[in-house]
Amino acid sequence: MPIGLYEKLRRAILAGLLGAQVLACAFAGTLEVTVLDPADEPVPDVAVYVSYASGGPKTMPGTAVMDQKDTRFVPHMLVVQKGTSVEFPNSDVVAHHVYSFSKPNNFALALYKGDPHDPITFQHDGIVTLGCNIHDHMLAYIVVVDSDAYGKTGKDGRVAIDLDDTAKDATLHIWSPRIRDKKVSRAVSAASQAVTFTLEKKLRPAHDPGEEVLQWSEY
Amino acid sequence: MVRVLRSLLFLGALVTAGASVAQDVGERADLVGGADISLIAVSGYESWTDGLVGKLRFSDDGVYLGRAFVDFDGRLTDTLKASFAVEAYGDDLGNAVDLTEAFLEWRPVPRSANRYRVKVGAFYPRISLENVESGWTNPYLQNSSAINTWVGEELRAFGTELSWSRKPPSLDGRQEFGINAAVFWGNDPAGSLLAWKGWSIHDRQSRFSDKLPLPPLPQIQPGGVFEEQDPYVEPFREIDDSAGYYVNLEWRIANRLLIRAMTYNNEADPTAHDSGQYAWYTEFEHIGLQATLPGGVGLIAQWMDGSTVMGPNLGGGIHPVDVEYDSYFALLTKQWGSHRVSARYDNFGMTQNDSTREDNNPESGHGWTVGYRYQMTDGFALRVEWLSIKTHRCAHVYYRLDPTVTEEQAQLTLQLRF
Repeated sequence: MPIGLYEKLRRAILAGLLGAQVLACAFAGTLEVTVLDPADEPVPDVAVYVSYASGGPKTMPGTAVMDQKDTRFVPHMLVVQKGTSVEFPNSDVVAHHVYSFSKPNNFALALYKGDPHDPITFQHDGIVTLGCNIHDHMLAYIVVVDSDAYGKTGKDGRVAIDLDDTAKDATLHIWSPRIRDKKVSRAVSAASQAVTFTLEKKLRPAHDPGEEVLQWSEY
Repeated sequence: MVRVLRSLLFLGALVTAGASVAQDVGERADLVGGADISLIAVSGYESWTDGLVGKLRFSDDGVYLGRAFVDFDGRLTDTLKASFAVEAYGDDLGNAVDLTEAFLEWRPVPRSANRYRVKVGAFYPRISLENVESGWTNPYLQNSSAINTWVGEELRAFGTELSWSRKPPSLDGRQEFGINAAVFWGNDPAGSLLAWKGWSIHDRQSRFSDKLPLPPLPQIQPGGVFEEQDPYVEPFREIDDSAGYYVNLEWRIANRLLIRAMTYNNEADPTAHDSGQYAWYTEFEHIGLQATLPGGVGLIAQWMDGSTVMGPNLGGGIHPVDVEYDSYFALLTKQWGSHRVSARYDNFGMTQNDSTREDNNPESGHGWTVGYRYQMTDGFALRVEWLSIKTHRCAHVYYRLDPTVTEEQAQLTLQLRF
């Protein structure tokens, strides 16, 4: 007996709702990550990301900006998904000559003012150390991760990461140039709602902790 | 007044020339020009710039054009830079306008944590931690320390400097180690002014063809041991056709700490002389430190210890002029927005090993300098500064002056930059 239009519609709506619910379940896990130093003080500006033994990111990489202001890179650390295109606008009046020797993400942008260069697309995961060949003190990092679950801790040392709980064998990683600990990853599951990393080793001092450190001129 | 008018004329010409160049330099060049105009009140001996032994730059109260300058950086390619700095002064110690530095620098893009640099031309040895703004000017105090005043007076390398530096990634790139090694010519008379005039505190830099007056020492007068000496020094002349060198080591921890240590030797033949100028064998060790103290207070300290000799070995390694010199200073500086306050203590001294008659060069002394700078706009700053130097120098008696003297200077300076 052929089903009527009403029944077709009812089934379609149900299927849709069900599908949406399954999808919602798949991305429902939010992992609260806290990074603390040996004195239990929160550590800001730590890159946090999740990798999976099977199954890569489901989100397409986007775009990001690494600015140059007052002969400093802003931000000091950028966390991006592999394949992200990063722009390097120069907001200073002086020219910059931005480069990275971090293979295989090495590149150089010919001397420039303003924003004349095409964005750089980072096709390999890893740490990209940036410098300026004119201003030797300029230093910044781009953390390229093969994941769409990533973030950076705030002043409270916390970050919330959206976890894909259909994927198996997820591993949580943290990275900061200040961290000296060897063990910087651990297995997590959708059930791990909150994870705290307490570092064993004292942190290196922050590169640029703000106004307390002078911006010395160089001739 | 004539001097001021003449100075303003130089300034006008320089600004016009600078502005027209600035139109064309575009993206690949940075050009900074400027002028310092000072109202000076001074007490002490007649200045060395007027031919006597006063440690300050000006002998009389008045309004002076301290400097007009242009500092140009042009990028010939992405990695090759041409730099020159030109200074105009209203005094009679050289051309109205002349170069203080001119060099090419090659900075290849680093392929690893190692960085290499090559400089060729005429440039300052890597000593001063004070003179870090365009035109080798000092952002902390108008008048540089005794050490860096001497660097400005008599030191310039005409040669090549090779630099290597490394930021080990294992140390987060916060720490940097570097070596600068230079081979240079053309700085043979360096040491003459220091030995015969003594240490000074001022803001005048010598240009390439300047003739710096010596005090009227008995031994450089007709009939004296060094009667061939001109009444002035041309510090950058090549006399003996042999090269000198310096090696500088640096260690930097981000913006918190910088330590540099140099050994310098001009390797001049102290028996060589040529048309009125002698070669002086001049060597020194230098240590510099720059640190950020709690509360955002900056500390700069430098120390220099060396010797300079001139004339043949008279036996026992003693030369007719045989002088050992040393100086150190500590400077504290604090900035609040566009206001900056700085204070410096200088200590300097000189001893001699020779017993040449009427060539008595020992001195000892110290100085205090306190200054305030208000940066009103990018192009305009106001400075107030006071400095006091107390000196004891035996040679003052040759000029019927008291060996012990306190010289003081108060100044109000307008700094223009474009």
